[in-house]
Amino acid sequence: MNTAIASSPDRQPTDWSADAMQRRIRARYRAEKRFRFYGLFAVLLSAGFLAFLLVTMISSGARGFTQTQIALPVNFPASDIFLEPSQLDGDDRDQLLAQTDFQGLARQSAIAAYGEDGPAFLSNGAWVLLRDAVSEDPSLLTRNETLWVPASTEVDFAARGDSGMRQSEERDTMSTRYAELEAADQVRRTLSWNFLTLADSSDPTLVGIWGALKGSLLTMTITLLLAFPIGVLTAVYLEEYAPENRWTDIIEVSINNLAAVPSIIFGLLGLAVFINVFYLPRSAAIVGGLTLALMTMPVIVIAGRNAIKSVPPSIRDAALGIGASPVQVLTHHVLPLSLPGILTGTIIGMSRALGETAPLLLIGMRAFVATPPGGFTDPATVLPVQIFLWSDELDPGFVEKTSAAIIVLLLFLLAMNGIAIWLRNKYEQRW
Amino acid sequence: MNNVGDMMNDATDTQAESRADAPALAQDTLKMTARNVDVYYGDKQAIDNVSIDIGMENVTAFIGPSGCGKSTFLRCLNRMNDTIPIARVTGQIELDEKDIYDPAMDVVQLRARVGMVFQKPNPFPKSIFENVAYGPRIHGLATSKSELDEIVEKSLIRAGLFEEVKDRLHDSGTALSGGQQQRLCIARAIAVDPEVILMDEPCSALDPIATAKIEELINDLRGKYAIVIVTHNMQQAARVSQRTAFFHLGTLVEYGETSDLFTNPSQDRTKDYITGRYG
Amino acid sequence: MVIGFAVIAWFTARFRAARLRPLGGDRPHSLPGYHGWYVALWLAIPALLFLTVWSLFLPGLVEQSVLLDPAAQNLPASQIERTAILGEARALADGSLTAAFNEEAEALVPAYQEASGFYGVIGIIATLLLAFACGAYAFLRVRPDFRARNRVERVVMWVLLIASLIAILTTIGIVASLLFETIRFFERISIVEFIFGTHWNPQSTTFSDDPGSFGAIPLFWGTILIGAIIAMIVAIPLGLMSAVYLTQYAPAKVRSVMKPVLEILAGVPTVVYGYFAALTVAPAIRDFAVNVMGVSSASSESALAAGVVMGVMIIPFVSSMADDSLAAVPGAMRDGSLAMGATNSETIKRVLIPAALPGIVGGVLLAVSRAIGETMIVVMAAGLAANLTANPFESVTTVTVQIVQLLTGDQEFDSSKTLAAFALGLVLFIVTLLLNIIALGVVKRFREAYE
Repeated sequence: MNTAIASSPDRQPTDWSADAMQRRIRARYRAEKRFRFYGLFAVLLSAGFLAFLLVTMISSGARGFTQTQIALPVNFPASDIFLEPSQLDGDDRDQLLAQTDFQGLARQSAIAAYGEDGPAFLSNGAWVLLRDAVSEDPSLLTRNETLWVPASTEVDFAARGDSGMRQSEERDTMSTRYAELEAADQVRRTLSWNFLTLADSSDPTLVGIWGALKGSLLTMTITLLLAFPIGVLTAVYLEEYAPENRWTDIIEVSINNLAAVPSIIFGLLGLAVFINVFYLPRSAAIVGGLTLALMTMPVIVIAGRNAIKSVPPSIRDAALGIGASPVQVLTHHVLPLSLPGILTGTIIGMSRALGETAPLLLIGMRAFVATPPGGFTDPATVLPVQIFLWSDELDPGFVEKTSAAIIVLLLFLLAMNGIAIWLRNKYEQRW
Repeated sequence: MNNVGDMMNDATDTQAESRADAPALAQDTLKMTARNVDVYYGDKQAIDNVSIDIGMENVTAFIGPSGCGKSTFLRCLNRMNDTIPIARVTGQIELDEKDIYDPAMDVVQLRARVGMVFQKPNPFPKSIFENVAYGPRIHGLATSKSELDEIVEKSLIRAGLFEEVKDRLHDSGTALSGGQQQRLCIARAIAVDPEVILMDEPCSALDPIATAKIEELINDLRGKYAIVIVTHNMQQAARVSQRTAFFHLGTLVEYGETSDLFTNPSQDRTKDYITGRYG
Repeated sequence: MVIGFAVIAWFTARFRAARLRPLGGDRPHSLPGYHGWYVALWLAIPALLFLTVWSLFLPGLVEQSVLLDPAAQNLPASQIERTAILGEARALADGSLTAAFNEEAEALVPAYQEASGFYGVIGIIATLLLAFACGAYAFLRVRPDFRARNRVERVVMWVLLIASLIAILTTIGIVASLLFETIRFFERISIVEFIFGTHWNPQSTTFSDDPGSFGAIPLFWGTILIGAIIAMIVAIPLGLMSAVYLTQYAPAKVRSVMKPVLEILAGVPTVVYGYFAALTVAPAIRDFAVNVMGVSSASSESALAAGVVMGVMIIPFVSSMADDSLAAVPGAMRDGSLAMGATNSETIKRVLIPAALPGIVGGVLLAVSRAIGETMIVVMAAGLAANLTANPFESVTTVTVQIVQLLTGDQEFDSSKTLAAFALGLVLFIVTLLLNIIALGVVKRFREAYE
């Protein structure tokens, strides 16, 4: 060793204060700062994307909850409707109402109030409101009454000074007309609950989210009822009882793979198996729920296993030591202790299922559903699919409705994740 | 920071006895000095008022029971405690009479001058050559490939590893044995041509044969570098060091010539420790 | 109803078992509750099994008896019409339809109602008999020395095992359904033509199966261009640098805020990204391409828009995998580098990232598999035209877009178009599976290296 060192003469000591070295160090510090800045920039850019996305959605969606309404003076006695209030007392009231030409009445009234282009101010579905008003209060038929009805998309756009996609001259005339209407207090913008209570429609001024929301709730019910028990039981089996053999390996590999399979593949499965083999109804919440349950189950299994794994063996040993049977250990100790973790995983899995679109498209849940589904086998659609369907609509009035639906969906997801975080923080246990 | 007079007073107060029989280091061999160093981790004080001199020609050993603060203090000497956010160092530590905690002191340069070898060998997951070349590359110590080759070769020779690895310089450094890995880390530290080498229990993860090799290496390196070694092994301290400092509960209990400290400790605590009453 | 009886059985058996205790000298082997469970399970499981089997056969039996009805004699001979009328009659009978389209259906309604009522009653009686028989058998076995607990626990084990087999069944279901339809597809279209053909236009093959229209190369290319190239160009640097900043530089407070914020990006439903891409990003990129870059062929459904938005969606995956991998690198490496006088960035670039590279690569592979299986963003923002182009401003289509395209709308189930969707699904399944296996293998070995 000594010889080795003797054979290697000492290097010149490094002169740290030399100019070149100082310059080099300054450059290194600049590189350090730059690198740090890149990191900060990446984080801010990513967060910026998120902020931009949310701001875009909220600013365009907030309008989806409001409605531009126009005053429509209706002179019922003078109209072409020959309907007496007393007629509406009988059993055939619905049929009578259905036979009456409220559409024509709305047209006439609009022309009477706003001239030849009056009907263009009204929403296509404004007559439905007339019908409903009469149905509610038949005495209207004897009066001359001013009703507030939804205005057409064009008026709606003029109300916000937005061009929409209309020609510029058309837009200009519309905005002048709107200014006149506004001056005469014949239009108003109000917050409208219609969006939350109505279902799909071809007229953007009359669409609502309730139909899709109900479809989502029905689908999620099926998903939860299937995925939660199966997921928890599987997790328990794998973590507590599974012998070390090939079957167990196959089960584990299957679950891990299922968790990574693209969601659209589950749609293909649902289509091929549930619809084409079991002949379950297309577009129904039950098929959607089944498909999403298969997708959600692996998530619950993995979360459940981690939660069960984190219960320390000492607790199991203690219970077994006082003579508890394995099932008693499980139901008395392991499951209660791991429940918060299992629930957190379940909520996260469910929130993923709630936002899922692609597999549901394949099993036909993209139908136009104008009445909220009444049961698990009725044709239904779900929130994200409804968003997808509206985003495809050409009428520019759907833009704000789509964004509004997105806000509703995001609020649901936010609530679910909030609950998951709350659960995790509340019951988080360090062993 | 306190003025120098105060600090000297404090130091003499607390360490009057221990310093009495330790001859002060000659000024020309003095490499590093520490005065009244306190280290806090959050609210917890890990080092309490330590003052010590480290000489150029010596191997200085820090001994003491685990948790006594010897490693913490070692990490102050090249400001590795900076990497722990909650750690706070007060007092004065000088390298060649320059305060290393002075804002004007560049930590990058400091660490190049005060190298460190860790408890567990920590070669980078790169080739043996790249491990040793890492320091020279980042500090720009070599202007050409051949110069770099030379630095790597000399560092490996000096660390006593060259003969064993010269045919596989481009194999991964993590494939070496534990003892070889530790010598690789020493070679890596030597490659940037430091003035002081801090070794934090460099043999605690090694078998006795590898330990003997490292101790031999430390002996060879003495005189070229000021070496500070932390060890929990008193025999090792006796074998490799000329001066020994005994730490206990965050304070420096006794500091002196190794032979004196082991044969004739002036403090009861030191005596209890080296006779094995606790530790 | 069966469940209700089971609950009653549980209580009675439990009560009886509890009464047993003072009679026998020794303590009963099992707690009363277990006897309750034992009887309830014996009562419910065979009955429910029978009920399930019965309800599977029920429609067939009902239909048989309806066809024997005189009203059924004048049904048309054609199989399709017959099925349609029967279906309608069934719907009328259970009240889900109110008005008939075929008069024949109307005539069959009473027969239907009668038959289903008859078989329904038989089913219920049989179920109840079975339930009581089995329940009684179990109830008689409630004795102090009877090991009810062990029996119940064995049933629990079986339930657990069956639940965990569902995962395997699902996997088998996926593979079988994809494989089965794909084989039927390849009976019509040659596999070579499908995998190596460069012309994709199945919509043109309404009447004849033109094998030249099923060349999937443009789809594979589009998928790779969007999911593996453009998305990764966005996601890898942003995700990696975010992870580096958050793990190595950011103060604890910033990290605890920004990490969840980035994770929100992964939680936003893909349909929202798709809408955002189509509404905001795509027009912006098109205008940019036309006005600034002078690319007149820029499409408003450009690959770039879909890819960029998908990249944003993928950022959190890359970032959290990189985060984990960087955290798995032993702190000693970092200390070793810093102790040599390296700056933070030098340590990160030259030691930490190389050391964490296998983990990061594994994460990127997982992200790629995620990206190529992603559907909604590309369905909404990418195009339908199967172009084979490297120009990111042009429109390309992907495997997932085509699956959705081929399977939505009304066509009969075994046309070449629907079968092609399953063939594409199989390709997608295999590729993502391989990517996942490789990625998990890489990550696993990386973890083991530092343990």
